[in-house]
Amino acid sequence: MPIVTIDGHPISVEPDTLIIQAADRAGIEIPRFCYHPDLRPEGNCRMCLVHIKGFANLSPACTTPVTDDMVVNTAHQHDQVRQATKGVLEFLLINHPLDCPVCDQAGECSLQDFYLHPDYGLHPSDVDPPEKVRKRKALNLGPIYLDSERCVMCSRCVRFSNEVSGTGELQFVHRGNHVEIEAFEDRALRDPYAGNLADVCPVGALTSRDFRFKRRVWFLRHANSICAGCSTGCNVRIDYAENAIDRVVPRRNPAVNKSWMCDEGRLSYHNLQDLPRLESPLQRTEAGLQPVSWEEAMLLGQEGMRGPYGRVSAVVASAMATNETLWILRQCANSLPTPTEIDFRLQSINPDINAREDHLLRRLDKAPNSRGAMLLGAGAGRGIEAMAQSAEEGKVGVVVILHYPPLVGQDDNARLAAFQRLIRGAAFSVVLTNTVSGWWNGADVVLPVASWSEEEGTFTNFAGITQLTEAALTPPGEARPAWKALRDLLPVGSLSPRLATVEQIFDRGVAVISAFEGLHYATLASREATVYPPEGRKSYGQEGFAGR
Amino acid sequence: MTKILSEHAEYPDQQELTAAKRRGAYEAWHQVLAQRPADVIGEVADSGLRGRGGAGFPTGRKWRFLQFDAERPPYLLCNADESEPGTFKDHWLLEHDPHRVIEGILIAAYAIQAREAFLYIRGEYASLLPGIGRALEEARAEGLVGPNVLSSDYSLDIIVVVGAGAYICGEETGLMESLEGKRAYPRVRPPFPAVRGFNGRPTVVNNVETLANLPWIIHHGAEAFRAVGTSDSPGTKLVSLSGCISRPGVYEIPMGYPLKQLLEQEGGGPLPDRYFKAVIPGGTSVPVLTAEEIEGVTIDFESMRQAGTLLGSGGMIVFDDSVSMPPMLRAISHFYATESCGECTPCREGTGWMAAIVDRLLDGRPQVDDLDRLLRIGNNIEGRTICGLGDAAVQPVRSFVSKFRQEFEALLHDSSTSNAPDWQTHGHGPRTARHGLVAEEIVRSEPVTGRPTYRW
Repeated sequence: MPIVTIDGHPISVEPDTLIIQAADRAGIEIPRFCYHPDLRPEGNCRMCLVHIKGFANLSPACTTPVTDDMVVNTAHQHDQVRQATKGVLEFLLINHPLDCPVCDQAGECSLQDFYLHPDYGLHPSDVDPPEKVRKRKALNLGPIYLDSERCVMCSRCVRFSNEVSGTGELQFVHRGNHVEIEAFEDRALRDPYAGNLADVCPVGALTSRDFRFKRRVWFLRHANSICAGCSTGCNVRIDYAENAIDRVVPRRNPAVNKSWMCDEGRLSYHNLQDLPRLESPLQRTEAGLQPVSWEEAMLLGQEGMRGPYGRVSAVVASAMATNETLWILRQCANSLPTPTEIDFRLQSINPDINAREDHLLRRLDKAPNSRGAMLLGAGAGRGIEAMAQSAEEGKVGVVVILHYPPLVGQDDNARLAAFQRLIRGAAFSVVLTNTVSGWWNGADVVLPVASWSEEEGTFTNFAGITQLTEAALTPPGEARPAWKALRDLLPVGSLSPRLATVEQIFDRGVAVISAFEGLHYATLASREATVYPPEGRKSYGQEGFAGR
Repeated sequence: MTKILSEHAEYPDQQELTAAKRRGAYEAWHQVLAQRPADVIGEVADSGLRGRGGAGFPTGRKWRFLQFDAERPPYLLCNADESEPGTFKDHWLLEHDPHRVIEGILIAAYAIQAREAFLYIRGEYASLLPGIGRALEEARAEGLVGPNVLSSDYSLDIIVVVGAGAYICGEETGLMESLEGKRAYPRVRPPFPAVRGFNGRPTVVNNVETLANLPWIIHHGAEAFRAVGTSDSPGTKLVSLSGCISRPGVYEIPMGYPLKQLLEQEGGGPLPDRYFKAVIPGGTSVPVLTAEEIEGVTIDFESMRQAGTLLGSGGMIVFDDSVSMPPMLRAISHFYATESCGECTPCREGTGWMAAIVDRLLDGRPQVDDLDRLLRIGNNIEGRTICGLGDAAVQPVRSFVSKFRQEFEALLHDSSTSNAPDWQTHGHGPRTARHGLVAEEIVRSEPVTGRPTYRW
C-alpha cells in the first residue's frame, strides 16, 4: 500500500486514493467546495490546492491520486499553498453578496467557515460593492430555491442531477464571471431527489423550500436516525428544536444511502406532525373509550390478558416498530396462556422487501423494519386476514394489536378493516398505537405509544443491515415507547433480569437470535461507516455532520 | 528562403485537386501508405517537428504517448479553432492550400492508425467551409480519403466540425468536450488525452500548421527538414503580422529568423513617420516585448523564452508610438474576461476583476494601489487554473503594467481620461490627444499576403 506523507504525517492508503481522501482519513483539514465523496471529482474550485514535492505547480488534492513516497503539504504547513488558498477564497468572495444575515445557509456555510479560518480567510475586502456582478435571487425551482449570486460554481448540484438522480435538470449557462446555474426555462425541478441539491450545495445558492427561513441552524439540535419511510433505511439526521422537527437531512453511509435520501422520506416528518396523536391511555366503559391513567390501564391489560379463555390468542405486530419493540412483543405473545399466533403481514405472503421503486433508493415496501420483523419471528402466522377470520368464528381470546400508520403513503384500509374484525371477535383486546383513529372503537384498552423520532431502537433494512435510530423528540402527552408499555404488560417476573433500556433489550434479547449474532448496541451507535467525516473533525457543508 | 507551407499557396488554383496534384500534393500520402505506421512516427520524430499551436511540444513524442489498443482505435483531432488574438495563419493555410492540410491529417491519422479524424473549425471561420468541403469531396472522389484509401486496407474518414465560437474550444480538452456536444469545460489532467481523450479513447490533437508540415517532411525526409531552422526548432514558422506595420499579413520564415528583420523587411517597417514601440510576438497570451527588447531576438522557441516571452502561435501584434498601452490592455483583458469559460475559480473571477480594474483606470476612477492590485490578482491566478487560459490572461496584464508602468501610473493621477473611448462600442472611437488610437483602429491597414479578416 502506498505511503503518503501529508504535513509530516505518514499515511498508508490503498492505491488510487485521492490526496484529499487520505487527508480526511488522517484528520488533516483540506478546504474544499467542489469535492464530494459521492460525486465524481471535478477539480474546479481550486480550494484544495496542495504542494507535492517535486511538482512545479500546486495540484488539486481532490483529483490527484497518491503515489508511494509522495510528500504533500497543505495550507497549514506551506506558505505557497496558504497564499493560493487565500487567493481562491478571495476570488470566490469578490462577487458574493453580503447577505449572510438573511441567508439560510449561515452557520453551516463552507464559505463562511473558511473565511473565518485564519489560514484561508480573514482578509480585508478589496472590492466595492457596486462593482459586483449581479445575478438572480430567490428563483423558485419547486422544492429548491436558487440564489445565483451566492453560487460558487462548484458544480456539485449539476453533477448530482447528472450522475446520481439522472434527471440532468441543471446546467451552467453564460461564461466568465457571469456563469450561472440554470434549470431549463426556470421550470420547477421534477427530481424526486431534489432535496439533496440543497444538501450538496456548500453555500446558500440552493436552499430547501421546506426549511427556508424556518429556523437559524445554530438553534437546531440533532439526532442521528434512520428514515422510516421505506425499507432502504437511509441514515438521516433529525434537526429539531422546541420538541418539533424542523428538517431531516441524510447522513453519509456508503453501505446504504451514500449521502442521499429521497424527498418523500425527507418530508415524511410532516405526515407525522399532521397525525392526530393519541396522548392518553383509554379504557372501554359504558360511554365508550374514556381516558384513564397508565396504572389503571396496565392493571386492566394485565388482568385481561391473563385469561383464561381456552382459545387461541392473536398478536398483530408492525414493521414500523423497532427490533426491540418487536422482541418484547414476541415475549408478550409467548407469555399468553393460550397458543398464540403472531404476524405483521396482511396475508401470509412475505413482503417483497427488495422491490425497488426507482434506480436509486426508494423501495416499494414502505416500512423500515420488515426484514427485522421477519428475522424476529413476528411474521410467523397465517396473516392478519386469517387471524381476523378466526376471530369472526369466535376462536380468538386475547388480541394485541400494535399499529403505526406509515410515514410515506396512506394507511391500508384492508388492514384497518381486519383489525376491526379482530377486535369485534375477540374476548379481550389491547391496542397500542400512536394515532387517534376510528378503527379501535370496541377495544378494551388503548395505549398511546411513541412514534419514530420519539424513541430509540434499531431497524433492520431490506439488506439485513441493522442500524440505530436515536430519539429526538419527547412523545406527546402520556405516550411512551411501545416496548415499555409491552414490557409492563408482561406478567411480573417473566422477563429476567428486568430490561430497563433499549440497549439491554438489544444485547440480551435481540442479539441472542442468530441473525443478529455478534452485534452490540454500543458498536451500532458508533459504527464508523455511518459517520462522515470521521469523528472529531470539523464538518464541511452538509455532507458531514460530526461535531455540529 | 525555403518555403515549406507556402510553397504553392500563392497559386490561385491551388485549392483545386488537379492543380494541387500537379504540384505534388498527395505524393507523400502515397509514400506513407507503403510504410509501416511506426516508421512514419519515427520519421516525424527525427524531423524534430514541434507543435505550432503555441506550446511547441515535439509532435513525434506526442504521438508516441498514445496507448495503442486495437479494440479502441485512437482519434486524430485537427485543431483549427484558431482563436488567439492576432493569429490568422491557419485561416490562411486552410484558405489557400486546403489539400496540404488534408494530406497532413491523412499522414498523421495513418501514423497513429486512427479510423476517424476530425477537423474542428471555429465558428467565425464559416467562410472557409465551402472551400474545405469542396477540397474534401474532391479527395474523397479520388479515393484519397474514405474506405480503403487508394485500394489499401486502411480506411479513414475526415469529419469537419464547426464550433460555436468560443476561445476555450481551442484548448485541447475543451475541444474534445465541445466535439462530444458538451459545454467546452477543459478537463483536469491526468488522464491525458493520449490515454483518455475524445469519447474516452486515446486522442491526438494537432494544430493545422503542424499537420501541414507533414507532407513536406515525408516527401523531403527528416534530414531536409532539420536543415531548415535551428537545431532546437527545425523547420519554418508562419507568422501573422498585424497592427501598426506597413505590410501586415502571413509570412513564412525559417525558425531562427531575426524578429527585427521580419518587422523591417517582410513587414515593411513602421507606418510613415512612426517608430515601433512594442510587439506581442505570439498572440496576446504571451508577454509583450518593448522595441528595445526586440534587438537580437530570433523567431524560435528558445530565443523567445530567453527574451522572457513565448513564440506562441506566431501571431504578432505591433504597436507604434501613436498607441497608448492602457486601452490596448483594456481590449485584451476584456477578451479574456469574456472568453474565460467560468469553470475554475481563479480564472472565472480573476479575469473579470482585472478587466474591471483596467476599466476603472481608463474611466478616470482609479484607486491608488490599482496597479499593484492587478499584479497581485495575476499572481493569484497564474499556475492555479485547470487550463492555460488563466495564465494566458495574466501575461499581458503583468507585462503591460510592468513594462509600461509610466503610462498606467499617469492614469492614477489624471482624471481627464474619463472620456477615453470605449472599445466595446465597436464604432470608430474618438481619437484622444493623450491616448492615441483605440484598439480596433490599429488593425485597419490592408494586408499584402492573404486577407487577415481579424478584428479586435
